[in-house]
Amino acid sequence: MSEREMEELKRLLKESMPAMQDAELRRDLWPAMQQRLAEPAIHMPWWDWALLAAAGAVIFLFPAIVPALLYHL
Amino acid sequence: MNKHPYVRAYLAGIAIPTVLLLLVMTVYTIIRYVYDIPVPIEKVIVFPMAAVPNAWGLWNVLYLAFLARRHFSLGLFGGALPLLLAPGGYVVTRLLAFAVPHEVYQIAPFALPVGLIVYYLVWKYFVGFLNAELGIAQFSKTSGQML
Repeated sequence: MSEREMEELKRLLKESMPAMQDAELRRDLWPAMQQRLAEPAIHMPWWDWALLAAAGAVIFLFPAIVPALLYHL
Repeated sequence: MNKHPYVRAYLAGIAIPTVLLLLVMTVYTIIRYVYDIPVPIEKVIVFPMAAVPNAWGLWNVLYLAFLARRHFSLGLFGGALPLLLAPGGYVVTRLLAFAVPHEVYQIAPFALPVGLIVYYLVWKYFVGFLNAELGIAQFSKTSGQML
């Protein structure tokens, strides 16, 4: 491909993909990103931990429950 | 993401039991055909395979249609589902004349509360998370509640 053809190709590409108008963001996205990053991981309240522990203890004591649970899950 | 919220609610609902079904079917296949356990579970396996995932999906649709706007707890609503599924599973075993091992009836008083707790937690945290991811509802990371 000659130099002239390369220039022509560049010109055609620029014509087919015009520069974006109004490319600036309307607002700063960084504060929202920082807020999202600062959000805590999922926090379980103590009563959910208590329920989980109770269910785990019953399953440990009565492992025969597991097939019945799997059947309904 | 405002289109077809009920379809998305259905898909979010069926996701977890569908994934767990892979685990259940793997365990079932191993114990039935590798260890030759003489319990013909395949007679009643249709219940967890077909009814349970669809029930989860429809339950989530019901939640979105009637309770999400009132900020009713998704965990409590999902936790009530075993109250329908447990009798449903029992009816299936009776209709198909499946001989339920006697031990199952002995552990039922313990299994039902554990099922309620497991469903409550799974619906509150996992289904709630999926609902939020699919844009159906907002999910609070601090309380696990739908906003």
